Amino acid sequence: MKKTIGTAFAATFAGAVALGGFAASAADPVKIGFSESKTGLFAQAATSQYQSYNLWREQMNAAGGLDVAGTKRKVEFVSYDDQSNPGKAVQIYEKLITDDKVDLLLAPWGTSLHLAIAGVIERYKFPVVGNTAASVQLRKLKAGNIWFPTSLFPDRQSDVLAALLKDRGVNTAALVTNQLPYTQENKSFVVPALKKAGIELVVNEDYPPNVKDLTAVLTKVKNAKPDAVLAYTYPADAVLYMNGAREVGLNQRVQVVLLGPQYDFFDKIFGAARNGILTMGHWTPARKDWPSARTFADAFKARWKTDPDFVDAPLAYVSVEILQQAVAKAGLDKDKLRATIAGTTFATINGPVRFEGVMNVALPTMISQIQGGTQHIVWPPKERTAEAIAKPAWK
Amino acid sequence: MVDLFSGQLLIAALVLAAIYGLVALGLNLIYGTMRLLNVAHGEILMLGGYLAYWTFTLTGVGPVWSMFLALVLAGAFGAIVYRTLCRRVLRSSRLIEQIEANSLLLLFGVSIILQNVIALSFTATARAYPYLDDIVRIGTFQVTADRLVVLGIGLALCFAAILFFRLSATGLQIRALIQQPDAALLVGVDVERMRLISFSLGFAIAGVAGCLISMLEQVSPFMGFPFTIAAFVVIILGGLGNLAGGLAGAAVLAAIEVYGVALTTTSMRSILIYGVFIAVLVWRPQGLFGGRSMVR
Repeated sequence: MKKTIGTAFAATFAGAVALGGFAASAADPVKIGFSESKTGLFAQAATSQYQSYNLWREQMNAAGGLDVAGTKRKVEFVSYDDQSNPGKAVQIYEKLITDDKVDLLLAPWGTSLHLAIAGVIERYKFPVVGNTAASVQLRKLKAGNIWFPTSLFPDRQSDVLAALLKDRGVNTAALVTNQLPYTQENKSFVVPALKKAGIELVVNEDYPPNVKDLTAVLTKVKNAKPDAVLAYTYPADAVLYMNGAREVGLNQRVQVVLLGPQYDFFDKIFGAARNGILTMGHWTPARKDWPSARTFADAFKARWKTDPDFVDAPLAYVSVEILQQAVAKAGLDKDKLRATIAGTTFATINGPVRFEGVMNVALPTMISQIQGGTQHIVWPPKERTAEAIAKPAWK
Repeated sequence: MVDLFSGQLLIAALVLAAIYGLVALGLNLIYGTMRLLNVAHGEILMLGGYLAYWTFTLTGVGPVWSMFLALVLAGAFGAIVYRTLCRRVLRSSRLIEQIEANSLLLLFGVSIILQNVIALSFTATARAYPYLDDIVRIGTFQVTADRLVVLGIGLALCFAAILFFRLSATGLQIRALIQQPDAALLVGVDVERMRLISFSLGFAIAGVAGCLISMLEQVSPFMGFPFTIAAFVVIILGGLGNLAGGLAGAAVLAAIEVYGVALTTTSMRSILIYGVFIAVLVWRPQGLFGGRSMVR
């Protein structure tokens, strides 16, 4: 009798374990890992990437979960602060893969961290769709486990900008550039691009990132009377440029501010005064042929009580959209996933995405302009959502 | 060639001098009285910036008024930090031997905690608000009204502080503590009380500075560190612990930043500033405006 009870108990226990194990594997959340720049140099800029990731996770879970080759599974994030440190990001991605054993990976923030983790994901053959990175160096990465949906590469961006300036009748320009890497890389390409377009550079000065006043250099720009002013800024010094340009009275009809106008805080400070400012960007909710762009912008605002920026937030969301569609088709098998990402055209909030090598070849490089409180694509003509306007005089 | 006598450059230099002077004043006060290197100074400024931002966003009350709230709250926070952390360091015979290094480590920890508490509470997203941003024309040049307000309030506070330290009994006791701490104790100065007042006052001034700076630039959890660095440069130029010298140091730094750039190029800014900084450290370690007795 004892034996019977024991056998029955053992059989029940084994069955429960087996059933439980089966049930757990179907219902287990999909673990998605990434490193976040919560502190350090990139913390301020990286916030919108994290907000897009979380918005997507919440949307997936509210809809019953992520479609993994036909099975819906909840999404769970595993993330660590990389302190904006590329070395730390490498350690984190290694841990996510080997220790946390995540099912999928999302990208860290910024070019330097993307470049840093490329070696780890290549070693473990773990596919990652990048997002907030744009440097010509990225093209040198081995294709296969990393891809970049953006088209904001400094060389192409410079050529497109030079073409727009020429179209706006610009013959002379002044260039002031922050000494940080992305603006310097853009400068290195825009100087020859302007020359090739026949635009003379009458002022060409750099300034350090911790600058607190630009009055002197903007006075030099005013005295040189260029047709266009190109301020290759990061967000913090973009504020200095705008305030300085107003005070000094730089009323050029063509003014380019590279990084800053895309962010919500810029709208809060300058409001209508930023109208007419040209800037970088290839996304806008105003594109009628990208209907999900408006849906994303509204959902982002409803969730985070702030508008998404026009660069990082949409790019981060595009990267998870790509992963979502690839996982629905290929499941979590890394080889199948890699082949699917490399060989599929994805529908995203930024239009179709199709990769050749590491690059998205479906998205042309574009220039945007702030008009009526939002960002419109104004160049090239076949992509634009609005005609470029002359910048109104400062008020 | 830029006209060096233009009002545009002069006003830019004066606004910068007022900001640097105010930021450095609090740092110098705490260092002067206690030899505490408050590397969390920029974070107190950041808290003042957030206070101004939220007060304006939620109630519409501008920073010109919320700075009084910042003065009180930052001062109270200073008293708490002093009583719970810094006083222990000052009373420990083991820690006081290397007070500068120990206070630097301690307050560095405070600065990291403050940055991250604010980042977790409000995210690291930059925030800003428009306030008095109309252009005001003065003769041949123009300036935004918010910068004029910062200039006016900044200079008024700096001069009020000088008068306080020269004329009031408390101010004189604090100066005595800065110049001759042992002698101050012998003649009956309540050292503990003066230290508490100095620490609170240092924090309060930083809080007010943050309110004013939030009118000109965006606030974020990590905005404070560059101001801490600038404040250290200013007080080295002016003389460590020399309050009036610090204000003169602020004027020198602002002049280098505006006129130095006008005479050369913007990329020379850091070379000029840190070149002068190193030269002062090497050839005049008591600061441009400090007597030899100020060096410790």
